[in-house]
Amino acid sequence: MTDSHLTRRALLRYGAYGAGAAALTGTAACWDRLTGADIPGRDDGSLVVATLGSAFDPAAVRALQEGFRRVHPDIGLRVNAVQAVDWSDFFAKILTQIAAGTAPDLVYVATEGVQLFAGQLGVPLDRWVRRDAAELREYFADVHPALVESMMYEGSLHQLPVEFNAADIYLNKQVLARAGTSLPPADWTRDDFTALLRRMKRSSDSHFTPYFWTNRLWGGVVPWLFANGTNLLAESKAPGGDWLWDTFYPAAERRGRGGGFRWTTPQATDDRVAEAYDYLASLIRDDLCTRPEGGNGSNLVGVFSTGRVGVTPAGGFWAGGLHLAGMKPADYDVQYFPRWRTQRMQFGAAGYAMLRTSTKQDQAWEFIKYAARKDTLTRLFRANQTTPARRSMLTADRYRESGPAHWQVFYDTLDRFPDTGPIPAPPQVAEVEQVLLKHTGTALASSGAVRPALRRMQDDLETAMERDA
Amino acid sequence: MTNTRIPAVRPAPAAARTAVAPARRGGRERGTRLLASLFLAPTIVGIVVFTVVPIAGSVVLSLFHWNVIDDPRWSGLANYRETFGDSTVLVSFRNTLVFMVLAVALQLLIALALALAVNGRMPVWLRSVFRSAFFFPLVLSAASVSVVMKYLFNQDFGVVNWLLGLVGISPVPWLTSEHGAMATVVLVYVWQQFGFSFLLFVGGLNNIPKEVHEAASLDGATGLRKHLHVTLPLLSPTLLVASVVGVINALQVFEQPYVLTDGGPGDSTRTVVMVIYETAFEQLRFGTASAVGVLLFVLIMAVTALQFRLSRRFVHYQ
Repeated sequence: MTDSHLTRRALLRYGAYGAGAAALTGTAACWDRLTGADIPGRDDGSLVVATLGSAFDPAAVRALQEGFRRVHPDIGLRVNAVQAVDWSDFFAKILTQIAAGTAPDLVYVATEGVQLFAGQLGVPLDRWVRRDAAELREYFADVHPALVESMMYEGSLHQLPVEFNAADIYLNKQVLARAGTSLPPADWTRDDFTALLRRMKRSSDSHFTPYFWTNRLWGGVVPWLFANGTNLLAESKAPGGDWLWDTFYPAAERRGRGGGFRWTTPQATDDRVAEAYDYLASLIRDDLCTRPEGGNGSNLVGVFSTGRVGVTPAGGFWAGGLHLAGMKPADYDVQYFPRWRTQRMQFGAAGYAMLRTSTKQDQAWEFIKYAARKDTLTRLFRANQTTPARRSMLTADRYRESGPAHWQVFYDTLDRFPDTGPIPAPPQVAEVEQVLLKHTGTALASSGAVRPALRRMQDDLETAMERDA
Repeated sequence: MTNTRIPAVRPAPAAARTAVAPARRGGRERGTRLLASLFLAPTIVGIVVFTVVPIAGSVVLSLFHWNVIDDPRWSGLANYRETFGDSTVLVSFRNTLVFMVLAVALQLLIALALALAVNGRMPVWLRSVFRSAFFFPLVLSAASVSVVMKYLFNQDFGVVNWLLGLVGISPVPWLTSEHGAMATVVLVYVWQQFGFSFLLFVGGLNNIPKEVHEAASLDGATGLRKHLHVTLPLLSPTLLVASVVGVINALQVFEQPYVLTDGGPGDSTRTVVMVIYETAFEQLRFGTASAVGVLLFVLIMAVTALQFRLSRRFVHYQ
């Protein structure tokens, strides 16, 4: 009988031959580097716009596409809704698409990524803005210069802001009534804020938390730093931008505006920063607020709407969320962030950034203009899921169904406190944010931990800022 | 015993067989080898393309600075030097090792105890129910489980602290204190993962001949003594497999700490794979991330080799 068994060595050798031949064939076949764009059907010549998946619902995306098709029937449009947990996750996915050779033409970018995209990937919009200045006058007249300035980088405009959210204070009116008090005045102070939390705590059971906040860049520690007249990184303004201010804004409104923000030297060991952390640590110690968890605060709507939380920082985006959770306009209200040394507040804005890899930049500019139109934004932001960048869109009619009663606070945050500025987001924002969240967690996890944690934060921020973004 | 095999080829007369055998045998062997190559090729190509090439790619990439946007720049061993000087990376390795020890020990202990319990006297249908129930968490998405657990373990609004409150225990900072966070991550991981070891142990226990237990009983061994001196040695090959798989999985933990604590508070639950993800996809330092990945690969290889070395002393195959 013949021996039909292979030796192990022979088996491996022949297997390797087969694999090698297949690998060589495959490599040779795709030697002229294949990218994702080579996949049939991926590139149909349409203008590709990447948005954060959860930013717009499917109906809104449909409305966006249909409206654009009516205005520009010659430009194909594909909206690529990228699902992500937060902006940082979203940017990571966009960068992966760029690396894969499937870069979109436009990306919906929030303050967190404005400088990252502007510095590395974006195209300044200056030449198109100058060209279409007459058409854009109506837009700039309707948008606060602080929002526009937050979209500038080193003297050039990189995005037209379409939405923003400032960190205001939401208050549960049922809890206020239980504490025997009412909505605080607009000029309330940090001490008033503390006293209010104490009253709320006294009038509630042990499962109640007066103040809830989430450990994140927007709406975490940063509003308290701003209120105490400081910031995580030294803030200054780039020169330039006069061409825009002089063209679109009257003298009173353009005073002090520059070519965009610069965030440079870390100052985590600044006394005022430590003061802000000490204050939050004291609230935790007195059981007036939670130890902050990371995340996007997704469980907050539930606990606020059921009266288990009295006060929390949030922007106009929360009006829609609370309405969906079943809260009536009379159940909650909103007020400015309390004054400490200042009443400067923080915001984050968003708009469409054009990528320099785009081969359809003129079409992309047409989309940017279309997306900033009032009728477009009205269709898109029907559910009050954000604060529109256009002042004229904030009307009593818009907030009649969802509330809050003092909806004017959302835009007046900019008008009443003109030094209100964007969250610190240099090109190294991902690492800066990670360092901030990490050491904030440590600083407030146990007593006496604030200063050691801030020293480590300072070291890590210095390392992060030295790195080439 | 009768031979029921059907010969593949009708035997030739002896003279002819002598003449043609070498040539025919050679041709048949080549055919068999070709067939073997064809069968092996898809698997080997898969391993080469999806395992060997990425590993080699990571090693090469660890010698470059690359941020996805610009072309890679040669950096030699700079990424490794940076890795060894980065306290976050070092802490993440320590956390991962602590996590591995706690998680694997707890996982094996719980799985073994439950396998012994389920293998005891009980109705067959009840045994099936238990087997399915203990295995069920393993088929769930780790991220979804972690999202739910994050709600349950929330210090202020979580069900766990609410239940503890009913018996007078004050709220525990499950996710916001350094030790509490690591313990919670381990608990959530073990809850989801022990089902795999449990199934292995149930299979291993069923393979132990009843006669061995009967003989031990006749010799006077009972209860814990019988398990220690009879069951465990006979189950040791299964224990080796379960521990090797458990260690490799635990060293790559990501979803649970990422969703539950985002590595915090501070770095107390930051694991190596989290650092790789953050360094590569958030900070766009793919070279440094690759260097950390290569070091993790080496660590996994070393720990696995150590396990196999130790198994020579502790594992009994007969």
